[in-house]
Amino acid sequence: MATDSLLSSTTVPVAVPQGAPAPTRHRIFSPGRVITIAGGTFTQLVRMKVFYFMAIFAVAVIASSFAFADLETEGQLKLLKDVSLAAMSLFSMLFAIAGTALLLPRDIEDRTIYTILCKPVPRLEYLLGKMLGVVWLILISLLLMDTLFCVVLHLKTQSIISTQMEVLSAMKFPSPDARDASISQVQETILKQGMTWNLQFGVLAVFLKAVVLTGTTLLLSTFASSTIFTIMSSLAVMIIGQAQSLARDVFLGQDASTVPRIIAGAVSLVFPDFKGFDIVDAVVSGTVVEGLIMLKMTGLTLVYMVIHLLAAYVMFSDKEI
Amino acid sequence: MSEVPAVSIQHLTRIFRLPTLRRQTVTAVQDVSFDIAAGQIYGLIGPNGSGKSTTMKVLLGLLRATEGKCSIFGRDSARVDSREDVGFLPENPYFYRHLTGRETLVFYGKLCGITGSALKDRIGELLALVDLEHAADRRLAGYSKGMLQRIGLAQAIIHRPRLVVLDEPTAGVDPGGSRKIRDLILALREQGITVILSSHLLEQVQEVCDRVGIIYKGKLVKEGALSELMSVEDQTEILLRNATPEVLKAVRALISSHPVTDLLTMGHPRTTLERLFLEVTDGSAVETREYVK
Repeated sequence: MATDSLLSSTTVPVAVPQGAPAPTRHRIFSPGRVITIAGGTFTQLVRMKVFYFMAIFAVAVIASSFAFADLETEGQLKLLKDVSLAAMSLFSMLFAIAGTALLLPRDIEDRTIYTILCKPVPRLEYLLGKMLGVVWLILISLLLMDTLFCVVLHLKTQSIISTQMEVLSAMKFPSPDARDASISQVQETILKQGMTWNLQFGVLAVFLKAVVLTGTTLLLSTFASSTIFTIMSSLAVMIIGQAQSLARDVFLGQDASTVPRIIAGAVSLVFPDFKGFDIVDAVVSGTVVEGLIMLKMTGLTLVYMVIHLLAAYVMFSDKEI
Repeated sequence: MSEVPAVSIQHLTRIFRLPTLRRQTVTAVQDVSFDIAAGQIYGLIGPNGSGKSTTMKVLLGLLRATEGKCSIFGRDSARVDSREDVGFLPENPYFYRHLTGRETLVFYGKLCGITGSALKDRIGELLALVDLEHAADRRLAGYSKGMLQRIGLAQAIIHRPRLVVLDEPTAGVDPGGSRKIRDLILALREQGITVILSSHLLEQVQEVCDRVGIIYKGKLVKEGALSELMSVEDQTEILLRNATPEVLKAVRALISSHPVTDLLTMGHPRTTLERLFLEVTDGSAVETREYVK
């Protein structure tokens, strides 16, 4: 082999595409960038096969619709609603905690965060995008679970109604009017325990609670040293938040002075009062939830989201990555 | 050449606090100052832990300077908008392994505000440029190291930055892949793009860089044009082709006749192992590995 050919440069001419970049003025806040990060987060979580949990949910819902067939009709429907809403609550909490706790440490560990933050992306947008990605995942998964739940509940309700109709048809009534009245009353009672808009408030409450927990977990993950720590501390916050109102009643009582109440209020910012989101038992038993309560719950969720996001930003803005 | 330097680092000091009870600190970078003119390839070299990465992170706004100032084309590098002019390829980047090559570029393109047909066209150009058109729709989890570095380079320049920062761009990449990346770096210079290259491969730095800064124990110990730093002033190299023994004998005689001139060495020049490898494999070994994976 000729020495001079080895010595000559082996550079291959590479054509870098010409043309000036499209001039863009940097925007302090860009919804487009936030949506891009949220979409990326959603895709990341979906491709981690989190929707396999849906199979477990489907099995739980369908199994509970067949279980305890010897219970009275209301009992059967209540069991189905209980199991379904409990499963929705559990899975949404899992998505909120595990999904969020994974995001920041993984980006930092894989150095993916460098490639994002060295683009013109403010850290607040990065955090908001991550949070909205998880919220998006929870929303989609709850919609899927809710759809399945509604279908199964509707079928179960119709099945019970038709069984009851057969029983009533076999019974003797003093008059046709009495039979119709009885049928109508039974139908109405069963339908009240079936699919109602009130029940959807319960699902909305589950969603809002998971959103608050997502914000809390994101805040914790900005200063936590590991994913496990974030998950454990988020679970602790959830448990404290669940028991908070009870503790407040016990320790503060009705006639507590202003200072303890202010301290309790400050604590409730860090540890969200999750008891306020617990309307599932009420909707399962058929108690009507007022729209105003849902409005307040939604407002409270937004307040928590903003507080947790800003606190996370304060922690993250100077974080050494 | 533009009057405003592409990069200006002035008296940069970065001190880290250690997570210990005694509040111990480590000075990673101490009073480092240098400018990089637009259109140059600047090599930042130094041993592990010397402060190269810290300097680059401060420049990219990923870390705050304890003291001093960095600017990119006149804009304070701590400002988010200064990053419109910067592309960065970190050492051993993983990116999102669940995304395909094309999806990765879409993601980074949108972060830079490029959308629609402009983004689609740009991605097409870049995939061709980094020779990854065949793997565009495969997930990054299945990419080889060289392919990851190339898609990384594509994301770094997707918004046509004026400055590209490359941290060990050929770490762990075989000679063929390394050569492709080197060619891309040279092509960037031809387009007037400023490049900062941090590398342990001194031969590669020597091959492509215009200027070099050597960082050691957090301090910039040597800085200047490569040609100036490399030249040995009191020695001269003459390379001959097809020299007969008679010619060589005459050259020796001429040199020995001069009282103050010494002949230090005479022999056949050696090629580099990298060039030899590329000649015999013609890059085919590299490509086969990438396709098989």
